[in-house]
Amino acid sequence: MKGFRTLFWLEYRRSGAWAIALIGSLAFWAWGLFQVRRIELAEQLGIRGMLVAMAAVGGAVVLALMIGRLRGETRGGQYQVLLLSPPSGHAHIAARYTFALATAVLYYVMIGGLACWTLWMSAVPLDAGSIAQLTLAIPLYVLGVTVLPLLAWTLLLMVFTSAYRVSGPGWVPGTVMILGTLFVLRWLIEGIVRVSYTLPGWRLLEGVQTAVLQTTVEAQLEPVATLPQEPLWIMLALTLVLLVIASRIWREVEA
Amino acid sequence: MLASLSDVTKRYGRTDGLSNVTIDFPAGQVVGVLGLNGSGKSTLLKLLAGLLFPTAGKVTLFDGPPREKRAKLVYLGENDSLWTWMTPADAETFMQGLYDDFDVGRYRALLDSLAVPKRKTKAMSKGERGRLRLAMALARDAKLYLLDEPLAGIDLLSREKILQSIVREWHTDETILLSTHEVAEAEGLFERVLYLREGRLALDARAEELRNQGRSVVQAFREVLG
Repeated sequence: MKGFRTLFWLEYRRSGAWAIALIGSLAFWAWGLFQVRRIELAEQLGIRGMLVAMAAVGGAVVLALMIGRLRGETRGGQYQVLLLSPPSGHAHIAARYTFALATAVLYYVMIGGLACWTLWMSAVPLDAGSIAQLTLAIPLYVLGVTVLPLLAWTLLLMVFTSAYRVSGPGWVPGTVMILGTLFVLRWLIEGIVRVSYTLPGWRLLEGVQTAVLQTTVEAQLEPVATLPQEPLWIMLALTLVLLVIASRIWREVEA
Repeated sequence: MLASLSDVTKRYGRTDGLSNVTIDFPAGQVVGVLGLNGSGKSTLLKLLAGLLFPTAGKVTLFDGPPREKRAKLVYLGENDSLWTWMTPADAETFMQGLYDDFDVGRYRALLDSLAVPKRKTKAMSKGERGRLRLAMALARDAKLYLLDEPLAGIDLLSREKILQSIVREWHTDETILLSTHEVAEAEGLFERVLYLREGRLALDARAEELRNQGRSVVQAFREVLG
């Protein structure tokens, strides 16, 4: 635990500037969302929704770069220091992942807040339940289904390629993993679609949709009754597996 | 035996970094690892540290695989290996949090004796960073110290301070492996010298024996590797 605390502190010092910049970038997105008020009222909600989605996707990319950057530390020798330190690979992977997770939760919850603000600016009436769903439930669902597995995959890619960089060409395992992932992803999505709604769906969007539909602004939106819970559980399980494999490979890394 | 390499070969793609090397390291020696660039010095130290895995042969450290015994050794690589935002105080937090054998009092005394400034490493000279890294390394109470080119690219005064600290902090039950190109300056430190040439062990000799033969470590270096 002492080792984990120190590694988490190290991660904060290494990546704190990235995290602050990412969170700070929300000011830019908020500014963009505010500017949309000059556009015709009927189009505002759609454009704002697109901007919020761009912030969400951009955040995932930045988080992946933050967690997976390695080249400089391999050349500089810091990676060697970490590999030779007493904490296990689990502690190293957990510390790096936990910091990214904490940053991601903060960022996506704030994006949820931006979404609330967006709807408020578009005069969509939101009750307390809908606000809670938009700021907590939906961001955490999106995190669990997409961002968390992406970050775990990035960590695994980082460890996997570095494990074979010294004794052979590092691009070979990297290419194999990226190409392999594309095939696995297709198989995974097909599988998730097949099993979705086996369990009862979650009514996370219901209140928000009702509120949106109550306004005439976006009455053309297709109502989606519920969110399937299977993708969340499957992707969280996959995240855990990827992290365990990355921790195991950490022991084999050469530097 | 503290550490040993048994018929070890390390290959990088098609190039041999080390070829069929067998060496034992008992406790309580200061060993010079000498050779020209690309002779396999760093590979040897990295294999002992567990940073590399042998292509063939076996490396043993404290009767086990090196990576599993990593908490018992100090490895000072040839790179800077310090984060640019680190100050000596940050380095203390880092080392104290990760290493049970890190002695804070000894570290602070070493910082003083090595005249390490308190600023961030990005604002330090190479010599100052080298001295800080050495303070971090020597403040640990390990049994095996692997020092890869700690004198490289460092000014004369810093080199002297580093060598003095190594001599002062060395205990008779500890083994130090020091690779360096500054053979003449470090000569007095060595009890044993390993001369590596193109990945092979060209000579494994006791410094005392060389001197008895009327040869210095530097002379032997020229004869064996020249």
